[in-house]
Amino acid sequence: MNLNLLAVVFQAEFLRKVRSRPYLIGTIIGVLGIFAFTSLPVLLTRFIGGSDHSLVLVGPPPITAAVTQLVRGDYKIVDTLPEMTEKPSIAFLDAHHGAAAVVVLARDAKGLHATAYARDAGAWGNSFRRDLAPLNVQYATNLTAARITALLDVPVVVKSLDAKFADERSAGAARGVATLLVFLLYMSIILNAQSVMSSVAEEKTSRIAELLVATVSPAQLLAGKIFAAGAAGTIQLALWCITGIYTGQTLVGLTSGTASAASMATPALGAIPITAGQGVAFVLFFLVGFIQYATMYAAAASLINRTEDLGSVTVPLVLPVVGGFLVAQFALVQPNAPSVQIISQVPLLAPFVMFTRIAIASVPLWQIVLSLLVNIVATVAIVYAAGKVYRVGLLMYGKMPSLKQVIATIRA
Amino acid sequence: MLVVDHIQRSFGSVRALRDVAFTIPKGETFGLLGPNGAGKTTTMRTILGIYQPDSGRVTWDGAAIGDEQRRRFGYLPEERGIYGKLTVLDQLIYFGRLHGMDEPAARVNATAWLDRLEIAQYAKRPTSELSKGNQQKVQVACAAVHGPELLILDEPFSGLDPVNANILLAALQWLQERGTTLVLSSHQMYQIESLCTRFCIIAAGEVRASGTLAELRSAWPTRELVVAPNDAALRTILDAVPGAHAHARASANGSLAYDVPRTEPLPPLLRSLVAAGPVDRFEAREPSLNDIYLRAIGEPA
Repeated sequence: MNLNLLAVVFQAEFLRKVRSRPYLIGTIIGVLGIFAFTSLPVLLTRFIGGSDHSLVLVGPPPITAAVTQLVRGDYKIVDTLPEMTEKPSIAFLDAHHGAAAVVVLARDAKGLHATAYARDAGAWGNSFRRDLAPLNVQYATNLTAARITALLDVPVVVKSLDAKFADERSAGAARGVATLLVFLLYMSIILNAQSVMSSVAEEKTSRIAELLVATVSPAQLLAGKIFAAGAAGTIQLALWCITGIYTGQTLVGLTSGTASAASMATPALGAIPITAGQGVAFVLFFLVGFIQYATMYAAAASLINRTEDLGSVTVPLVLPVVGGFLVAQFALVQPNAPSVQIISQVPLLAPFVMFTRIAIASVPLWQIVLSLLVNIVATVAIVYAAGKVYRVGLLMYGKMPSLKQVIATIRA
Repeated sequence: MLVVDHIQRSFGSVRALRDVAFTIPKGETFGLLGPNGAGKTTTMRTILGIYQPDSGRVTWDGAAIGDEQRRRFGYLPEERGIYGKLTVLDQLIYFGRLHGMDEPAARVNATAWLDRLEIAQYAKRPTSELSKGNQQKVQVACAAVHGPELLILDEPFSGLDPVNANILLAALQWLQERGTTLVLSSHQMYQIESLCTRFCIIAAGEVRASGTLAELRSAWPTRELVVAPNDAALRTILDAVPGAHAHARASANGSLAYDVPRTEPLPPLLRSLVAAGPVDRFEAREPSLNDIYLRAIGEPA
């Protein structure tokens, strides 16, 4: 293969790709989406959520003082009143710092009870009931509130037998990040494989393909396109990952003073304990998956005569991408289920599923190596078959060939 | 020298090329003629190495067609194609680079071709914004920007108005003067006849006739003889010539038209006619390329 020609095709395709509107818009939307995904829960909690958790307490001062202590952290008490002098209303809440609810507390022979008058009955309250429980016990037992709180919090420590994660907290963090990564992988493979497809379709339908293959072999043309889209896709993926890491870390720092907000922040990507080998596997699975799909999409696009026909040839190719993504969701919950272990070896699905397993579980090295080998062999076979279809399809005009004819082309 | 050496090519059960053979010396302009579906495009694609022949071979300067040869070729396919969003200049530079030029050299050649084809004012415009005729000139420039040794043009004049056709004709003559070997396919016989030095007529995948126009004419069995006036005595003498027959086309302006065998000596015939009566006109016409073409493909000339 002439490397100079490949470089010319690569450069032209790469520049065309990164300057194209869909790529720029997709990259920007991805960055904004990841920013929103990682930061919105925190920002909502910190800057907006406060008003939904601000309360006015009404009742005897000893009770309101004790409750204020207990709910601290979950609720902000904006005012306390010894008794209700007017009928609870929205106007009353507005007059008291725009509180979300006014809670009237009382104590009788049965214990503590509370009546909340809230702006939105469904929007708050569950944790309030839980927070009040120790006070009720205190009234019944005369133990100190601190002692009761300590007694109610039974320490259950989960020690993972999986060497990958020390405890459930880091495992949960990894699961969150893996979800994000698999989604990014899915988007990146779909978007970039489709961009190869669009490029092939443009050259086929604009009839420039014949002019090109008079100079460049179809293999060089296809390789240049795929490498260019792969490079552009890697840059896009890296930008998205950097956004995720940066916003994750920044927001964890920003919210470190608020325990609940910090727990809601998406953990920084750096929190996943990935070894260098696993990192390489991530990259390899991305590349393998991308090449598998990109060549198939390119072959499909080479068969069409009009861009309107693209849908009919690509629908069958979207199914394995979606299937792989869905199995990856299952793998997030059961990374070592036998079915998941098998599927993580299956070409076209493995890039998503093995990718997920590596992120959240200890996958035996032999499984990773086997999956890579199977997929590299499959990629070679796919590239060979798709390359043949592409080479023939590029100059085939008129009626679109049937599946039987496509298979005959591959076998020829 | 381009040698097309008895190539055959089939697509499934369809035999597109059957033993096609011809030779084009360097610097010649070669007209590849034939009706639609005759195999011209397949022949061109095989010369360019897009298709591999089932049997036979194509060589350029004695070497089989590979990447190295293809870079020295240029091609304008019948089905035109452009990158609509690329600017005209960028498009030409890209094709120059695909043929092994570096970027500055490709830019210089591209600019020269835009000037030559009188489309320099569109250099920075996306190609899709140009008229169809100007887009076609851009495509010709794409094929020629790298200064190819062999330039293959499939129907280069189709879709061009007379002014643009003349601009293209001048550009092709410029290439001829530089010694570029040209292969043209066209249905515009006038332009082909005026440009080409050698011809090959192909039909149903096989060569029906090939050579220079003189060679093609010498192989033609008859000459058209036009004699005036349309007189009975003159007609009697012409009818008596062995193998002669009155031309199928009605003679205009009162003259006689006969196809007479090429072997028939004309001076004695003229003397006989003059002896029979006054002869106002005696003209032996060579067959036109169009006549030869129609006859070669099996249509009445």
